[in-house]
Amino acid sequence: MSKVFVGMSGGVDSSVSALLLKEQGYDVTGVYMKNWSRDLPGMKCPWAEDLADAKRVAVKLGIPFEVWDFEDAYREKVVEYMLEEFKKGNTPNPDIMCNQEIKFKLFFEKAMERGADFIATGHYARIIDGNLARAVDENKDQTYFLYRISDEALKHTLFPIGEMLKPDVKKLAEEKGLHNAYKKESMGVCFVGEVGMKDFLKEYIEIEPGEIREIETEKVLGVHEGAVFYTIGQRHGLYISGNKGEINDGLPYYVVKKDLKNNIVYVSKNLNDSHIWTKELKLKDVVTRTNMLGLRAFATTGASDEASPVTTGASEEASKPSILVRLRHRAPLIPAQFDGEKLVFENEIKRPASGQSAVLYDDEICLGGGIIV
Amino acid sequence: MIYLDHAAATPVNKKALEAMEPYFSHDFFNPSSAYLPAKKVSADYESAKATIAHAIGAKSSDLIITAGATEANNLAFTSVSLDGSCQLFSSPTSQGSAGVPLQSCYPSILYLVTEHDSVRKVAEQRGGKPIKVLKTGVIDLDDLKQKITDETELISVSLVNNELGTIQPLAEISAIIREIKIDRLKRGIKKQLLLHSDASQALNLLDINVARLGVDLLTLNSAKVYGPKGVGALYVSHDVNLKPLTYGGGQENGLRSGTENVPGVIGFAKAVEIAKEHLNGNRKKYATWRQTLLKELTDYELINKKHSVDNFVNLCYNNIDAERLIYLLEDKQIYVSTGAACAASKGQKSHVLAAIGLSDSQIAGSLRLTLGETNDDAQIHEAAKIINEVVAKEKERLQNV
Repeated sequence: MSKVFVGMSGGVDSSVSALLLKEQGYDVTGVYMKNWSRDLPGMKCPWAEDLADAKRVAVKLGIPFEVWDFEDAYREKVVEYMLEEFKKGNTPNPDIMCNQEIKFKLFFEKAMERGADFIATGHYARIIDGNLARAVDENKDQTYFLYRISDEALKHTLFPIGEMLKPDVKKLAEEKGLHNAYKKESMGVCFVGEVGMKDFLKEYIEIEPGEIREIETEKVLGVHEGAVFYTIGQRHGLYISGNKGEINDGLPYYVVKKDLKNNIVYVSKNLNDSHIWTKELKLKDVVTRTNMLGLRAFATTGASDEASPVTTGASEEASKPSILVRLRHRAPLIPAQFDGEKLVFENEIKRPASGQSAVLYDDEICLGGGIIV
Repeated sequence: MIYLDHAAATPVNKKALEAMEPYFSHDFFNPSSAYLPAKKVSADYESAKATIAHAIGAKSSDLIITAGATEANNLAFTSVSLDGSCQLFSSPTSQGSAGVPLQSCYPSILYLVTEHDSVRKVAEQRGGKPIKVLKTGVIDLDDLKQKITDETELISVSLVNNELGTIQPLAEISAIIREIKIDRLKRGIKKQLLLHSDASQALNLLDINVARLGVDLLTLNSAKVYGPKGVGALYVSHDVNLKPLTYGGGQENGLRSGTENVPGVIGFAKAVEIAKEHLNGNRKKYATWRQTLLKELTDYELINKKHSVDNFVNLCYNNIDAERLIYLLEDKQIYVSTGAACAASKGQKSHVLAAIGLSDSQIAGSLRLTLGETNDDAQIHEAAKIINEVVAKEKERLQNV
């Protein structure tokens, strides 16, 4: 009997994952990964309730259950990274880092030490011929968060609900009498989510109020709470005061630039501002998953383009295999071309915040991705 | 449903509920208002307070009504004056403003190590020192005597522990305190030495008399004695000086401002009345049920063998995770706990069970059953049978791993 350690968060997805593994005859152990337990001012961290939910399901399924404490590592590998990135003016994604450093590294390694054949999680993702692949439920696909996990871990990973639709997961949970079938989706970590992140940053980063200026005129429009809180393209949360008739004609302002050195946030009413739109994105820390497929083919063609002046022309250009890119979790897939570090889109796109990830796909296979510069 | 967690919460007694009902919308007046209907409400409130006070051998004017036992416990600690150089509510790790650790600011409080958090946390905030317990859960009187100094002003020892049901020898403690007071007088030391007791769990199980116990401050809790939640009381001996935690209209002798919770206190009083009436009958009933459980349950070790109130049955199952038992029993509509409900929800291990010397694995295997008015003979037999089955099932699972 294959031995599986399944990460159980207390939510319905990981609960049903454990249930399915048990029904498929695996030797299943449920594990709650304790990554964060600190309450924030005005916000209670629900870890103890989540843990109780996970354990209640494990008991119902009659499987062993353990709590593995990764708080120190989470703080060091995920939180520290996140804070550093914010301080640099970027908008990092802690979930991607958590999967890379905690769930598919420390959890995986510890499970292997304990004699596991596999680890499993409640992610909506699939593994096709050894490749990370998008989930059947297009709405819930979570490969955006998984593109940086190691091949070694993936080789020993099961995604039991990757073939299912979320409503069916809930229905199955209800049929099997799992109490958390309709539990509100938890983010796993207390400070994830828009409001939570701001409160969190306030606790950990020293911030100073600064000027909000209109980019076209350099005119000071108001005061911001701290430049790190603002993301390029963001519309909300600008508390601009002043002569209503003159500067506030009802049109919203957008953040178009952050000058961290002088602690100035630049805004514009012009939705067409060049800071908001782009046709190209540079990536760093690019991960190419073992199966390169179209990505490699494109990179080769791209390289030969530059090297050889002989081959060019519109017909050649059109035949370049294009890949699909996802710039946010659940965002639509956009066709693009990639040369290993630069993404080129056919049409202009709204520029994602630096620090976020661009994840690349060939149809349903995840090719890898990188961090937007 | 078989509810075996009466130390966590009790349903409001039907008669208490009926007594409360008129005061929500018919006799809703503010007791402080001038007109006659309001004066009637005020009189009913005072008479309810008197009922509660008389139940513990006190006068109505000795009682401060609070919004529960936690507030009453907090209020009790205001009897100790604060040193001006220390901040009251700094975090436990921080230091006093003069750079002096909090510990040295308030050397004046002693509390039993097994106290509920609503005593323990306040005492810790004020630099209190814990008094040890023996393996039985009973206070270590030698440790108490050793820790009392000329600086000691307040000693807090619950009458009945909320996790083990241990009855503390309050009269013995107050006798020790009396001797120390006499000795202090002889030496011309005028510092007060007060005894506070949290009797939240005790009112419907023990015959409480403040004079006999020798306490200066006593906390009562409506929610644990089949009265409504959110109502408590602090008995305050006439020579004790408290400071209010809230300021306002000056209700409750100026110590607890805020419009009186009339229905709550009416319900509390009725619950107390009923508890008093059935005290002896209930004790016999619980003692019988406890014996039944101890006889019919299998494979356990009894944790609270002695000195416990009759409705607490604390079991330890070796090598078993009692939290799993809670969920398995929940599936059969039997509700039990591992320890204090608030400690369990924070995922903390019980400081009470640790204090009586239980190992981590023993603590993990500990189940608390607290019997009460929702139970009957048949339920007790049924509960024993199902608990045995569930434990057997869990043991079988463990053998197959």
